[in-house]
Amino acid sequence: MNPSSRHTGAAGRDRDYPDLVRAVRTGDRQAMERLLMRAQEAAWRFSLMVCGGASDAEDAMQDALLKTYRYATRIREPEAFKTWLYRTVRNACLVRRRRRVDEPAHLLSLDELMPSPDDGTRVPEPADKGRAPDEHVANARLRRRIRAALAKLPRQHRVVVFLREIEGLSTREVARVVGISEANVKTRLHRARLFLRRELEGL
Amino acid sequence: MTKGHDRSCRELVEQLSRFIDGDLSAADRRAVARHLRHCPCCDDFVESLRRTVALCHEAGQTSLPPAVRARARARIRTLLGQVQTAGTAPHGTARTRH
Ligand SMILES: [Zn+2]
Repeated sequence: MNPSSRHTGAAGRDRDYPDLVRAVRTGDRQAMERLLMRAQEAAWRFSLMVCGGASDAEDAMQDALLKTYRYATRIREPEAFKTWLYRTVRNACLVRRRRRVDEPAHLLSLDELMPSPDDGTRVPEPADKGRAPDEHVANARLRRRIRAALAKLPRQHRVVVFLREIEGLSTREVARVVGISEANVKTRLHRARLFLRRELEGL
Repeated sequence: MTKGHDRSCRELVEQLSRFIDGDLSAADRRAVARHLRHCPCCDDFVESLRRTVALCHEAGQTSLPPAVRARARARIRTLLGQVQTAGTAPHGTARTRH
């Protein structure tokens, strides 16, 4: 059921974080390079999709790189690395954001998000990857639309969607990263999904 | 899910994420499934919610643009190079390239 497990390549691209961290501790330089790349990738995605700016992305990547390097060599529990990484990336993003006020501040009300009688079937099917070139274009367009929809979410919902749906963290991990209860994670996720469904239905 | 939203439909909508995520008790799950069999609107709604979740998942499956990746690699090389020349590397010497 885990789609990422299908793509485990020869270079161990998609090794899980705990494995990677354990390898780093044995002095495996390639594992260290891989871990540092993945930390930067996570920071980049977080910047783009949650923090809402490509301008900060490189700073975020540099920050994640250095902190991961320092942390990876002294971490006691490899299992805790993933939540540590996302907490670190999120905190750095919050610090950078303090100067800005471009958040949608409204909360999501259920009444706004209830379906209208005939709108249920218009959310498009996810496109198959790697087919015809025009499908690539369609995919790219779809991704932009989804990111635009994500950007309209209040940040406290957006971060939950990002961690849960895009980065694949468990409910418990998201709760740890964000510092809220698991019940709260589920509530935010549900509201966010309803909102996104409505935004995407016109595609 | 007709106009005015039946109260049972409204309650159902609140459970749908947990339904999709397999996070409901067996009894609640059966109750939702029963409702869906008799309410085409809610049934369509679940499907569109599933597609939404799948689309979000897919939207995140992007790799770094080549220029960004190149800078990320350069940062790693610089960092690990500095550590090595400073002689403080606690890591092995399994250098595979220069
Ligand atoms: Zn219904």
